[in-house]
Amino acid sequence: MSGSCKNCSGRSLFRDDVSGNLICSSCGIVQEFDNYDAQLGGLNGPQGTFVRVGTSGSGSVLNYKDKKIYEAQKIIEDITFRLGFSASKSNDVRILVSTITEGEYGQGDWFSILVGACSYVSMRKDNRPLPMSEVASTIECDLHELGRMVLRVVDFLDLKGPAFPGFDIVGSLERAARNSPSFSKVEADTLDIIVKQGIFLLQCAMKWFLTTGRQPLPMVAAVLVLVSGLNEVNVSIDDVAMEVHAKVSTCKKRYRELLGALVEVGKKLPWGKDITKRNIVKNAPFVIQYMELKSMSNTCGQGKNFEDVGIDLQAAVSECLRKELQYESEVNNLEDDSQYFELIGNSWHDESSCDDRNKLNISHECLSLIYTKFLDEMAHLRSSGEINEIYGRKLGRKAGFQSSTEWWEGKSQLSKKLLLHQLLETDVGLNGMPPSFVTSCNAYKRRKEKINAAKNRIQRIMLPSHAAIGDVNAEKERKRKRAVGIEWEDIIIETLLLHDVKEEEIEKGHYNALLDLHVFSSWRS
Amino acid sequence: MADQGLEGAQPVDLKKHPSGIVPTLQNIVSTVNLDCKLDLKAIALQARNAEYNPKRFAAVIMRIREPKTTALIFASGKMVCTGAKSEQQSKLAARKYARIIQKLGFPAKFKDFKIQNIVGSCDVKFPIRLEGLAYSHGAFSSYEPELFPGLIYRMKQPKIVLLIFVSGKIVLTGAKVREETYTAFENIYPVLTEFRKNQQ
Repeated sequence: MSGSCKNCSGRSLFRDDVSGNLICSSCGIVQEFDNYDAQLGGLNGPQGTFVRVGTSGSGSVLNYKDKKIYEAQKIIEDITFRLGFSASKSNDVRILVSTITEGEYGQGDWFSILVGACSYVSMRKDNRPLPMSEVASTIECDLHELGRMVLRVVDFLDLKGPAFPGFDIVGSLERAARNSPSFSKVEADTLDIIVKQGIFLLQCAMKWFLTTGRQPLPMVAAVLVLVSGLNEVNVSIDDVAMEVHAKVSTCKKRYRELLGALVEVGKKLPWGKDITKRNIVKNAPFVIQYMELKSMSNTCGQGKNFEDVGIDLQAAVSECLRKELQYESEVNNLEDDSQYFELIGNSWHDESSCDDRNKLNISHECLSLIYTKFLDEMAHLRSSGEINEIYGRKLGRKAGFQSSTEWWEGKSQLSKKLLLHQLLETDVGLNGMPPSFVTSCNAYKRRKEKINAAKNRIQRIMLPSHAAIGDVNAEKERKRKRAVGIEWEDIIIETLLLHDVKEEEIEKGHYNALLDLHVFSSWRS
Repeated sequence: MADQGLEGAQPVDLKKHPSGIVPTLQNIVSTVNLDCKLDLKAIALQARNAEYNPKRFAAVIMRIREPKTTALIFASGKMVCTGAKSEQQSKLAARKYARIIQKLGFPAKFKDFKIQNIVGSCDVKFPIRLEGLAYSHGAFSSYEPELFPGLIYRMKQPKIVLLIFVSGKIVLTGAKVREETYTAFENIYPVLTEFRKNQQ
């Protein structure tokens, strides 16, 4: 019997057999009732409440497992419901989880991550777009934590090649446009156009390496914002970024990159030199139209340069001018416009249009007349079959173009999802380089310049007679420049050059490795 | 010994490197057994270049300037040396650390020195279509732009992992000897040229 008497603190407590009370044998005080209820006497003994922690019913092990599986199923149901899966898809996920855990399911934080990973893998196996970041935010875990689990699931199931297609960025654009609250009020027709144009631009961005090795969703957001802007649907980049679970700053960066690429394409238009990042949004319809025509001309296996789509550009320009006429605005724009006209005249091989050029610089009306005539001539050419095959096919498809004020046709195959090789074969008027590659090329160039400068400096010090030939002022200037322009990188390059390191090695820019190998190497001697 | 660290100063041997590109070794990790129990606290107190925080990590972290390396010294007497740029540097650094431990009064030996990992990098100087590479070499590669910008290529022979980036920069890791790094690069180079984006 543990404990001590509350009165005398003696340890000689005993239990009275008759009353069941605890009594101190030295002072005789009855201790406080301690709730002890001895289960004596078997069936005939006093009845009490049977309490046992940890089990309920019979067979404790089985029950724990049942409960665990029940809870796990609830988690699976909850997550698939929040991801908006159909019943059959949720069942797929359940089967997947069950296979992976060998029917044991599981408990704890990792389990919901596993369910999320299985949901992602299951969707991607069926080539349906579900961004990983969306899953991560649904199950409230870190993207990379989920990513690690996804990779483990993929490894476990040994999914490779066609069984596990790459992330469907085009599909995710469509999904984002259709599910995003920002676009919920947009009419179905407009939304269709937005999606088509979005897919077109997105595939162009893929072609220009703007998505390779980058998170796909920011580019999706950027494209959506640009395209909806062109269709007079106002959405803010912040909202779209939030809805597609992408970082706002990255989305903005991708948006700028996309505009930059469009400016590059726009340079090929007759008024290309006026297109800058500032006015590209206004010019985007023409640029996109140019890209669309270019991509369609290429499907005929021909068409590598600007002239091939010349005719359609005439139409674009004429339309542009017609719009100006409609508004009767900005007479001072005339000069600018005529410049485009001249350029187009150059690209157009017909003699008559060259004659027309002489009549230029008169008035809007005249310009309009010239264009009408020009278009008539084109129609004539078309009907008489003088036009070559490629134009013929294209214009056949474009019968309604000149009359329509719509700049978008949506007939380019780029508006649908293409396979990579098809996408790469399609010409959209620009072959972009990955931004990271361009940066590294510039870095090489910069280092090369620094190496040359360093070599010159070394030369001057080693052969001062050469330097003396130069005029004193130049020398002074050089000194001033040296004082200002030399930084740590130049000093390192000089040191490396003096240690006979090859220039190609220095150009790579691995200064630390080179310094360790060639400079701080007293241990070798 | 000297020539291994000096490959940069000599023309590229095209027989050995048909691509004309020699990966630069960036990091060598080696281990050695000092074969004596160590009192890490005593080491941390006596050595100026050592840090020891048992709550964070159960090893003394020691650094030396030349060769510029870092070592993790464990109480069991095992040591990991990282940061060297060549095998010789790594071995020399490991010896220097062993010497320091000896000077601190421990009967340190130098047993079972082994290079565990060699990391190299290089630049093929053309952009690479990672999507295409991932598609046609699906069995070896993992390209998840949602998670990591590079393509992870697990080469089977030699058993090397390559990180391939769109900019044309390559990281090779997992080699025990530098020849494995070189072979892996020479194996992958023709594959990369298949997916190169032609420069205009």
